[in-house]
Amino acid sequence: MSTRPGAVRADLEEVFRAAYPRVVGVAARVLGSRDEAEDVAQEVFLSFGHSSVPAGEATGWLSVAAAHTALNHLRSGRRRATREQVAGDGDVLAPDVADTVVTLDERRRVRAALARLPRKQAVALVLRHSGLSYAEVAAALELSPGSVGTTVRRAESALREELTRHASSH
Amino acid sequence: MRHPTDGTLRRLVDEPVGVADADREHVAGCPVCLSGLAAAQADAALAGAALDARVSPDVDAGWHRLSHAVPVRARPASAARTPRRRALLRSPVVAVAGVVALLTGAGAAAAADWLQIFRTEQIAPVAVSSADLVALPDLTAYGDVEVVEEPDVREVADAAAAEEATGLPVPQVGDLPRGVSGDPAYQAGGRLSAVFTFSAEEAAQAAAAAGETLPPAPPGLDGGQFRLSAGPGVAAVWSSDSGLPGLVVARAVAPTGESSGVPFETARDHLLSLPGLPDEVASQLRSFSGDGTTLPLPVPAEFVSSSGADVGGVPATVLTSRDGVLAAVVWVEDGIVTAVAGSLSADEVLSVARGLR
Repeated sequence: MSTRPGAVRADLEEVFRAAYPRVVGVAARVLGSRDEAEDVAQEVFLSFGHSSVPAGEATGWLSVAAAHTALNHLRSGRRRATREQVAGDGDVLAPDVADTVVTLDERRRVRAALARLPRKQAVALVLRHSGLSYAEVAAALELSPGSVGTTVRRAESALREELTRHASSH
Repeated sequence: MRHPTDGTLRRLVDEPVGVADADREHVAGCPVCLSGLAAAQADAALAGAALDARVSPDVDAGWHRLSHAVPVRARPASAARTPRRRALLRSPVVAVAGVVALLTGAGAAAAADWLQIFRTEQIAPVAVSSADLVALPDLTAYGDVEVVEEPDVREVADAAAAEEATGLPVPQVGDLPRGVSGDPAYQAGGRLSAVFTFSAEEAAQAAAAAGETLPPAPPGLDGGQFRLSAGPGVAAVWSSDSGLPGLVVARAVAPTGESSGVPFETARDHLLSLPGLPDEVASQLRSFSGDGTTLPLPVPAEFVSSSGADVGGVPATVLTSRDGVLAAVVWVEDGIVTAVAGSLSADEVLSVARGLR
């Protein structure tokens, strides 16, 4: 299938074992579903396996790829609405903390808001909340560390407006 | 001093060591900045809760899945079933329909797909995920797409009428495969041609809307035109009880593409660099023959696998859905592309293909 069958990089397993939880975490923040996040992670590692990304840049590359791929899934309408329900039943998101703040309906708003954000903002937001440092986000997105804060701030502000607008419309 | 930026205040929330001492001192004594900092804290906390996803995936299970998927890419015949049943059922139909749409040049959607700006003498599969397919850039965002000739695909009474309408000899199937019987319905379509005019301004707008920066266009590309032509084409369709196409045999004048002004490869490389195309797919596309004689046929990698075969001495591409429900074979000879597809096995479609008269 691939034009380069067999050309899977030798360090794939090592990188996979080190980075898989983070990559799934990035995708889960976007999609709100562990199953879907794991599908995205598989897709991303498959691409990585055929790439020549330097091992030292792997985590950043994989995180950005996971964010983009997950956002593509959001935008493509390929997702199943039922997955959202499953997520709300505790499939992935811990019911105790987040649920007091964000209801299932709001989760949908979060996904919708993420899909509407300018891509760079959405990716920066998700990476920052996935635990990447400002320097890592900056390197991964080719931003200056100073503008990472600005980009994340704008994204969070837009997210808040989206969620508040929704709350006040009820 | 000047107030630090919102970005600096944001960084102060969770990475204060990254903020200059002078800025920190200013904020500590500035009511305006303290208020901004509080707002940044509140928004960050809300976003943190909204994006909360504490997952602890099973790394061993994940690796097991990936290590099986990697050889699957190289040897599709060993493809394992995936749990995406609905998608499995749906996507190959779309893939087969896509092949037929390509062959018959049905619709402006096909014209808007820049992948078809290649003069076709052979077909090469490109592995893309279905998400990529959906995300492939719609050319209308990068300029004007004007359909010059509509294919007007329509059902015709019989093979003779199809031949009269298209000027193409309709392939006759020798022995129908098991489970396929009766007479086919014939569809005929005229020539589709469309002109795409690249607009650097629109492309930049599209990129900006996606949060990306567009690479600078090569000189002369702005306003450059690409003409796509495909068809006429004809298809014979045997339906089956399940609603899936039992058997489809289609033939069409292969797509051709021309560019004006700008050398084709320059334009192609620029189009390939537009935001939205995964790097890997772009590099695969770049590897296609420099003379532009290959039509890359995008294949949704999760659902369809491809392999090579020959039909009467001509190299052909065999596509099979990973659940084994559908198969297709496509080849190009003398500027005519022919496809046989259906709810059949690869052997069955090849057998039909090799028996065409």
